[in-house]
Amino acid sequence: MKRLVLARRETPTRGGQPLAFLAGLVFALLLGAILLSIAGDPVIDVYKRMFERSLGSKDVISATLNRATPLALAGLAVSIAATMGLWNIGAEGQIMFGATAATFVGRVFPDLPGPILIVAMLLGAVVGGALWAAGPGLARAELGVSEIITTLMLNEVAIRLVVYLQQGPWKDPEGFSFPQIEARPDQAGLGNIWERVHLGVLIAFAVIVVFAWFSSRSVWGYELRIAGSSPKTAAYAGISMRRKVLGVMLLSGGVAGFAGGIELSGTATRLNENLSNGFGFAGIIVAALALMRPSGVALVAVAFGAVQVGGLSIQSIGVSSAVASILQALILFGAIGAGVLSNYRIQMVDRKVVA
Amino acid sequence: MILAITFSEDAIIGLVVAAIQFGTLLYLAALGETITEKAGVLNLGVEGMMAIGAVTGYIGGAASGSPWMGLLVGAICGAIISLVHALAAVGLGADQVVSGLALTILGLGLADFIGSDYTGDPRRAHFGEVDLPVLTDIPWVGETIFAATPVSYLAVALGVATWWVLSRTSLGLGIRAAGESASTADAAGHSVAAIRVGAIAAGGALAGMSGAYLTNTLLGTSWNEGVTAGRGWIAVALVIFGAWRPGRVALGAVLFGLTLALQTRLGFFDINVSGTLVSMTPYLMTVIVLVVISYRARNQPSPAPAGLGLAYRREER
Repeated sequence: MKRLVLARRETPTRGGQPLAFLAGLVFALLLGAILLSIAGDPVIDVYKRMFERSLGSKDVISATLNRATPLALAGLAVSIAATMGLWNIGAEGQIMFGATAATFVGRVFPDLPGPILIVAMLLGAVVGGALWAAGPGLARAELGVSEIITTLMLNEVAIRLVVYLQQGPWKDPEGFSFPQIEARPDQAGLGNIWERVHLGVLIAFAVIVVFAWFSSRSVWGYELRIAGSSPKTAAYAGISMRRKVLGVMLLSGGVAGFAGGIELSGTATRLNENLSNGFGFAGIIVAALALMRPSGVALVAVAFGAVQVGGLSIQSIGVSSAVASILQALILFGAIGAGVLSNYRIQMVDRKVVA
Repeated sequence: MILAITFSEDAIIGLVVAAIQFGTLLYLAALGETITEKAGVLNLGVEGMMAIGAVTGYIGGAASGSPWMGLLVGAICGAIISLVHALAAVGLGADQVVSGLALTILGLGLADFIGSDYTGDPRRAHFGEVDLPVLTDIPWVGETIFAATPVSYLAVALGVATWWVLSRTSLGLGIRAAGESASTADAAGHSVAAIRVGAIAAGGALAGMSGAYLTNTLLGTSWNEGVTAGRGWIAVALVIFGAWRPGRVALGAVLFGLTLALQTRLGFFDINVSGTLVSMTPYLMTVIVLVVISYRARNQPSPAPAGLGLAYRREER
């Protein structure tokens, strides 16, 4: 009797991941097309509009780049934690609390000059994000508590905290009956550098480049990778795992919080519960697709930014913007399948041989 | 004065009834996730599977006029969507965290896409209270605990059945073995892949059923985007809170259900606390419980399945 098994290739296929991503994209577009046609939507029109409204002109490209920024920073946050084998599922909450901390700074110093206030608010955001990740980091470092669940739970807490501030303590007295938080100071907005692309996009890009360089060239980055791939070796080398775990979680949370600060000063005018529009969760998919590499994170984030901006544009032709979420998840599942195929080959073997 | 007392008694009865309803919703999904995790698979797709169950269960119930049909359709569709996670995490050995989260994004997206034609649809199937002889007539208890819908009794029955299967049958032994030590289960002649796929599908069916119950009974409105509102994450939390045991998970479900019920009823009790702050408690309690479990685990073994989250591939054991 014969059966099919997956056999690992001696050497993985070269350039596998970019190809796997493209395969995932094709897979997602095909399945998406089937779904759209079942729903009776005009497939070609939908895809054409999604493309035109996300990559078709300077104006929409800048919207895509703005959208890609929090995705890239969230993806970077996830990949920083992953270098040590940790899962930061809490970028969503860290983005929200980072933006909350930045809003707090803006409320305390509403009259500072723009550049100083922006720096202060962004620093506040970094500290806020790091604080939100500190609990899970400490619990993991000291007691071995799974950071997956703790970071996940704190997402829901952070979102509800913002809702609470919006309803009560920080409610805009001029917002009439509609509960909203007062707008951040005007001078705390990041200016545009090209078309509608704001300065935060450049800053975020610089952060990613610096981190990529730092992690590959510094002793710290080297120790991280050792600690992540082989804790025993790290222990022999005298690397303190507890301090590394906590440090990495703080850094990861800080980067996610920074995304919240950039979002608040770049594209939003005030803090609300939708400020992080699933960026933290999408960031995990982005990081996974980029195999946790910072340079890959930036590229995948731009692609996802385009899908999201394109998704918003099809509402006006009567198609649900949920198509964007579906496509993003399908890209990941398609790429997983393609990635496995590039590292394995399907083999037919006798049942006896395996058993 | 008398009026005030009567009012507060009504408020308490309403609170207990709602706590049981929300508890039922949470328990169904958490019981499913318990089965899945017992087999060694973490599925963070509960929120997405619940959303799929909510929309398909709504459509099934509204189209047929029968809430039971809604529950069935929701369960079937929840099981079907969960197979995406089974294929990726078990079939292809993908990371369970990534695959589960992608399932949540897929499920929420698909649910919104399917449901966009039904927003504001006035049709709605609804589970009523079960009229039990004698029991319903007991003062107070009859008005609260025995005023439940049939789904609550179904959830209890499923909980008992799950406990029995997991602890008293050879199938349960196979499931637990797959979760504790997949290679041992394999050596003992169990098919780890089949067990895990089955456990994922059971989890999907229960999460889907939970979603269908949400739209068919709990919410007084038609389908809406974002209808699950983070309740799937509470189900994930409950599994830990209940230490992977069906009985304790049930207690946790009623407790967390109480916090969900309390959020919108604080005004009835003159409690001057924001409902939003109350809504944080299930998540915070879970974090605290996790820390306590781990603190104690220095002396006694953790209640989590030892192989939870680990992919199993025979040639790499």
